[in-house]
Amino acid sequence: MTEFFATNGFLIVSMTLAATLALSLYLPLMAGQLSLAGPGFYALGGYIAAVLSDGKHFTWQGDLYPVPLVLLEMALAGLVCAVAAVIVGVPALRLRGIYLALATIAFVEILRVVSLNVEITGGAVGIFGIPQPYNDPSKLAYLWLAGPLLVGALLFTARLERIRVGRAFIAIREDELAADAMGINPTGYKVLAFTLGAGLAGMVGALSAHFINTWNARQGTFDAGIALLAFVLIGGSRSALGPVLGAMILTALPEVLRQASDTGGLPAWLGQFMKDGRLIIYGGLLVLGTVFLPQGLITPALFERRRRKPPAAPVGAKGEPPL
Amino acid sequence: MLQQVLNGLAIGSVYAIFALGYTLVFSILGIINFAHGAVFTLGAYFTYTLLGGVFGFNGLLANGQLGIQLPFVIALPLGSVLAGLIGVLIERLAFRPLRLRGADPLLTLVSSLGVAVLITNLIQYLVGAEIYNFPADIYGTLPKAVNFGTAGAPVPVRTVQLVIIAVSVVILIALTAIINYTRFGKALRAVAEDATTAGLLGINTDRFILLTFFLSGFLGGVAGTLIASSVSIAGPYFGIAFGLKGLAVIVLGGLGEIPGAVLGGLVIGLAEAFVPPQYSGYKDAVAFAILFAVLLVRPRGLLGRALVQKV
Repeated sequence: MTEFFATNGFLIVSMTLAATLALSLYLPLMAGQLSLAGPGFYALGGYIAAVLSDGKHFTWQGDLYPVPLVLLEMALAGLVCAVAAVIVGVPALRLRGIYLALATIAFVEILRVVSLNVEITGGAVGIFGIPQPYNDPSKLAYLWLAGPLLVGALLFTARLERIRVGRAFIAIREDELAADAMGINPTGYKVLAFTLGAGLAGMVGALSAHFINTWNARQGTFDAGIALLAFVLIGGSRSALGPVLGAMILTALPEVLRQASDTGGLPAWLGQFMKDGRLIIYGGLLVLGTVFLPQGLITPALFERRRRKPPAAPVGAKGEPPL
Repeated sequence: MLQQVLNGLAIGSVYAIFALGYTLVFSILGIINFAHGAVFTLGAYFTYTLLGGVFGFNGLLANGQLGIQLPFVIALPLGSVLAGLIGVLIERLAFRPLRLRGADPLLTLVSSLGVAVLITNLIQYLVGAEIYNFPADIYGTLPKAVNFGTAGAPVPVRTVQLVIIAVSVVILIALTAIINYTRFGKALRAVAEDATTAGLLGINTDRFILLTFFLSGFLGGVAGTLIASSVSIAGPYFGIAFGLKGLAVIVLGGLGEIPGAVLGGLVIGLAEAFVPPQYSGYKDAVAFAILFAVLLVRPRGLLGRALVQKV
């Protein structure tokens, strides 16, 4: 068991981070807004952490980078990304339809071009040797930071679904005009949902920069946005658990396939395809998933069936079964 | 100055042709086909193959080559027709099943993104990620560049750019004629205006949607081939970046507006051509900066109709 954790430490933390990142895309989607900006904010957060921990801004004793400073970077990255999200989101979210997706694509591309050209991000080469807070070659120790972040984000999102703000998000997703007529301010809530997601993505980015140890312009690309989208839609875009599950499965998939193809028993071409054709499989899953499984793996119906287990009250009796 | 204008017009007219592919589909279905960039890439690879190009040593088709070598004037339209057929395939597999179910447009958008990822990585799997150059002699005996200045002060413009402008003009004129003056174009406009009513009036909307996807794929293929002939095929991903810029073009012109796509393409092409050399690293950001500005100032785009909220 310990051997399993030691060899798969990197994968386990990657899965946790991916799940948190998937939640950052789920938040705007709760309000019906498709944002492809996740990787952009993720990249921005990572650059903030990488630049701040270069030894010129904070000083520390010993070989290991202090964990409180990582937390500080994460908070700062979250804040900066949230502010950036308001600036990007307000013009795009006044409009209905796909304008947010378009604006976020533009945002990610501009950010990528700028990070390739300015000096502080290390240009095309990027930033190397980001200090490590843990002395653990398997990197499993990062779970101390990534785990609570995921649990916190999951609890926050699950709670959000039950309170006034979250219900406003969902009302806007179902019918923006009707929500508007009910006195919900669509632009305000859409910007809020987008901002929450951006802040979360920034925090994940800051942590990932330490985790991955190097940071460059390839970290936040359009492709990464597609992978995130696959996480959320395959997992299920109607509850907070869906994105988490989707991200974990799809992040583990290539590694599982790789190990499966190594154990033999599979035809050689299939093993090779599983290694090299990972993104082909992703693309295919996105198409098949939207066609055959439009609600994803975890659907609201799944919860309802569970809750309705106690025999329903007789017809006409008072008291609906609790929802 | 003249050099920059002509270069800007060349790239701008390719943007225009490419963006028309987005626009045609959007005007009919109200959905952006994110696989369009991948079709652009495929078109370039198809033409490269038809020209008799050899593939590198990576990928499944390593060192593969077609037995025939077609001249460019045939390979360009043929490669684009193949791209158009891929467009038809995409409609059948990724759009139609969702349309018949009346699915959320967001889902269709995602499935088209899935197709883009699928095609791009399939290309990489088949022929690797190398840069491919079209053979140097595709224009036969034409000179490499034409001098628009005097012998003393030369203003050379590459022949490729002039060919691009010429091909684009021909295609734009043909497309305008088809849409405005033929029965097919009239039916197409009717479907775009209101698919249900058009269907009730006896137009086979399903067939027109299919034809639109063919036309869109064809235009994507032409654009991909033209860019590849001017620069090179910069690997399987080169259509993705171009596809994203195409989004800026259609937003600038107005979503679903055919003249808007042309105008938007030319404006962005010229804007990029006039980026001063010392800022050339930022050239790829110009289109997206314009997209933001449009969202802020005039969300319906230059030639777009006012955004109507249908209840």
